[in-house]
Amino acid sequence: MKSDRYFGLFIVVVALAFIASATQIQTSFLADPVGPKTFPFILGMVLAVCGLYVALRPDEEQMRVQSIGKVAFAAAVLVGYAYSLRPGGFLIPTAIASGLISYQISPRVVPALITGLALSVGLFLLFKFALGLGLFAWPRAWFG
Amino acid sequence: MTHLYSLTRRGALVGAAALAFSAFGLGVPTSSAQTAECIAPANPGGGWDFTCRTIGKIMFDIGVVSKPIQVTNMAGGGGGVAYANVVNERNTDENLIVAASSATATRLAQNAYGGATYDQVRFLGAIGADPGVIVVGKDSPFQTLTDLLDAVKADPTSVTFAGGSAVGGFDHLKVLMALRRVGFDDIRSVKYIGLDGGADAITQTIGGFTQAMTGDISEVIGFLKSGDIRVLASFTDERIPGFEDIPTAKEQGVDVVAVNWRGLYVPKGISEEAYRRWSDALAKVGASDEWAEAMVANGLAPFNRVGDDFQSYVSDVILEVEALSREIGVIQ
Amino acid sequence: METLAFLAQGFAVALTPKILMLAVAGCIIGTVVGALPGLGPTNGVAILIPLSFSFGLNATEALVLMTSVYYGAMYGGRISSILLNIPGDEPALMTTLDGYPMAKAGRAGDALVLSGVASFVGAMLATIGLIILAPVLARIAFLFGPAEYFALYLLAFATLGGMSSKNQAKAAIAACLGLGISMIGLDNSTGLPRFTFGNLHLMDGIDFLVAIVGLFAVTEVFVFIESHGRESAIGIKIAKLRIPVRDIMRSGVTMLRASLIGFVAGVLPGAGASLGSFLAYMGEKAMVRDNSKFGHGDPRGVAAPEAGNNAAAGGALVPMLTLGVPGSGTTAVLLALLVTLNITPGPLLFQERPEVVWGLIAALLIANVVLLILNVPMVRIFVLLLSVPPWVLLPGVTMIAFVGIFSLSGSSFDLLLMIAFGVMGFFLRKLDVPAVPIILGILLGNEMEDSLRRAMVISSGDWRFLFSSGIAIGLWSAAVIGFCAPMFLRRLLKRPQALTD
Repeated sequence: MKSDRYFGLFIVVVALAFIASATQIQTSFLADPVGPKTFPFILGMVLAVCGLYVALRPDEEQMRVQSIGKVAFAAAVLVGYAYSLRPGGFLIPTAIASGLISYQISPRVVPALITGLALSVGLFLLFKFALGLGLFAWPRAWFG
Repeated sequence: MTHLYSLTRRGALVGAAALAFSAFGLGVPTSSAQTAECIAPANPGGGWDFTCRTIGKIMFDIGVVSKPIQVTNMAGGGGGVAYANVVNERNTDENLIVAASSATATRLAQNAYGGATYDQVRFLGAIGADPGVIVVGKDSPFQTLTDLLDAVKADPTSVTFAGGSAVGGFDHLKVLMALRRVGFDDIRSVKYIGLDGGADAITQTIGGFTQAMTGDISEVIGFLKSGDIRVLASFTDERIPGFEDIPTAKEQGVDVVAVNWRGLYVPKGISEEAYRRWSDALAKVGASDEWAEAMVANGLAPFNRVGDDFQSYVSDVILEVEALSREIGVIQ
Repeated sequence: METLAFLAQGFAVALTPKILMLAVAGCIIGTVVGALPGLGPTNGVAILIPLSFSFGLNATEALVLMTSVYYGAMYGGRISSILLNIPGDEPALMTTLDGYPMAKAGRAGDALVLSGVASFVGAMLATIGLIILAPVLARIAFLFGPAEYFALYLLAFATLGGMSSKNQAKAAIAACLGLGISMIGLDNSTGLPRFTFGNLHLMDGIDFLVAIVGLFAVTEVFVFIESHGRESAIGIKIAKLRIPVRDIMRSGVTMLRASLIGFVAGVLPGAGASLGSFLAYMGEKAMVRDNSKFGHGDPRGVAAPEAGNNAAAGGALVPMLTLGVPGSGTTAVLLALLVTLNITPGPLLFQERPEVVWGLIAALLIANVVLLILNVPMVRIFVLLLSVPPWVLLPGVTMIAFVGIFSLSGSSFDLLLMIAFGVMGFFLRKLDVPAVPIILGILLGNEMEDSLRRAMVISSGDWRFLFSSGIAIGLWSAAVIGFCAPMFLRRLLKRPQALTD
């Protein structure tokens, strides 16, 4: 089956879910002939129709994904980075995350290490001193 | 001015950016021992932002604080984000003042701050007020406030009001209050559209898409001078200084006083001494020449209530707005 | 003549060493801010506002610095669009369509010079337009009521469908997704939450910058990691920088037309530079005789959006200065700056504070020349920023994107959202679904819905009101034609390639 058929059906499901949650929107009492539901409702309908159209008349090309594992890993690294940026300060999480991403693009250990360290320190200096953002360098726990 | 839900995406960013720079981890360290902070609970450019910047600057200029006051924009939820932040996280911060206005009281009265109540902070005082006005385009057939209100009474669908606050916001309520005073009770049939700020509302009115604009005098000064609009009435006790040719609603038999006061609140948990220190500072600003100048430049009318007097004023206003909002169905 | 006297007065204000220095500094900062993906003019200016206060700048000086940054970002945005296929900022989105294919064909230098010149023409014409037409043009705002705005937004989406012409259903899906995302948060009119599922982070809606950085920067990183540099998207070198005289001559008319369209789009409140570059590109594609190369590296497809967005940037200053109604996100921030400086924008600003207005205009003219020099002969310096190897650049872009977004909200929630957008963008790109309409949807969704609802309040629910003025009918017709025409024309034309590559 063509990947567009799956995509189209997926969109139809999304559209129906959207319409379903649109019906849950509270309405106000005051004079507003359209209200907060109508526009999302119209959107959901258009989305469903378009999804159906794509499912019924899919494009020829098949979706090609080479290595989904790599993308999943990169996404996981970024999620970890997102969580550690606040408690962990800027330098350490940035060095680790950018080193890992760099290694994924070009699997050589030394350049990846250097990239991680250089980006972490360089960007810190740029943001802190050139652009004046007040970043915390080290984990906050170290300073209480 | 302080339009409640008019946070455009990008506008919200700005506030959020400023917020992040100072309040959160990335921030410039603000609450070090001596530097005081003023939170403007909206994007730069609105009334709250003006309050923080102007009052903060004058406090430093006249020497009641030793260091310039840091202004932080904390947009979101029509001021609710800042309110929650102050109540939950900075309840004992003695170096914090927060800009407030009639919109703050309106929102609190309408329970729009997620269950927060007005007694969770201490209201410090207000030292100026932006008088509410009703405005029509220069070619409008309505010459007086009575003309306009009569037209609504005759056919509510014939007049659409435009304002800079959301439905149920202060700009909207002003119109409804006026209509009730002249004996029109079917308030829900009144047509009102909320736009992103007073300037947008005026533009729509001048363009003829809406028949009248409800807002504050500061929002209309530029258009008034250029002759694009006529101000039918101001919702004040006396005529506004500097705009003596504008009749008040009272003179026209519509007994409504609705001003958008500009003031501050402080966290509830601060010491009595700190509260007095801030209210003295605010009173001094209110008495300064610099503030008098700033009021003239921004179309503010005198309005002086500081300390406990203000606290009780705010609670009265909140009760009144709450009753009205319930009546028109903005709250259940 | 009076105008010339005012302008002379403006130059007298602007031609002081301090102002000139600020203009140059603003231009450099702006170009860098624009070139770095994730940092756009709006947050660039927002970041700098506190700085201008701590420097103790007066009104004119602060305004000159900020508008130089603003103009500079409009120039800078094209650099990463062309070289990396990542728009440096949101208005540079359209420049990726032809700029990147040109760069892949080994003509990166030509594309940069051409777009630099186009930017200059657009910005220059817009500044001149601002001088001549500001007081007159401001009145256009009075012709646009809710019904007209609704039709205008509809037109934007309809023609967008026509643009990503490989499959309009997919473009429409993308637009609906974007519009749907924009519905998240508190409803503008009633203040009631929608689609927030009780999550506080969603109350204020989803930030378009989170979406744009996710859908472009993060997606780009994922796509690159996945394809493992098979088809190297990054690291295009500029072999030789020469002036592509032929391309510039050929795009002369294009630049003029695009500047005009962009300027008008900029003057309309709320439309802004993105719509300006978009309409300029679409207009150009529709007007030229042979548009088969659009999307494949047609130089005119580079010149049009760049002239358009720079002209729109200038145009957006018109309603801001004359009405106090910002024409774009960045001018909204500039408006905030004006107000904090105690300047009340409005119809009388030109008479009451001529030194501010005319000093600003003169500084804009000077900044433009500075920017042309920075962005054409000296563009290599900025390219250096981007011509580092991918295993350094991509982690760098990722980290800048993270810090940029983190600095906006300080919450890891937005970062996770950004990663989610990145993953979504990855799959959408694999499925040939364009990302541009999603962004436009998020950007315009609330305004579009509000316009509809305001129109219905005014008409007491009579839907015919939407077609009640000549302007509205014109916009609706253009929208219908814009959406339908490509369906029929597609059979006649050679099947165009997908938008995203």
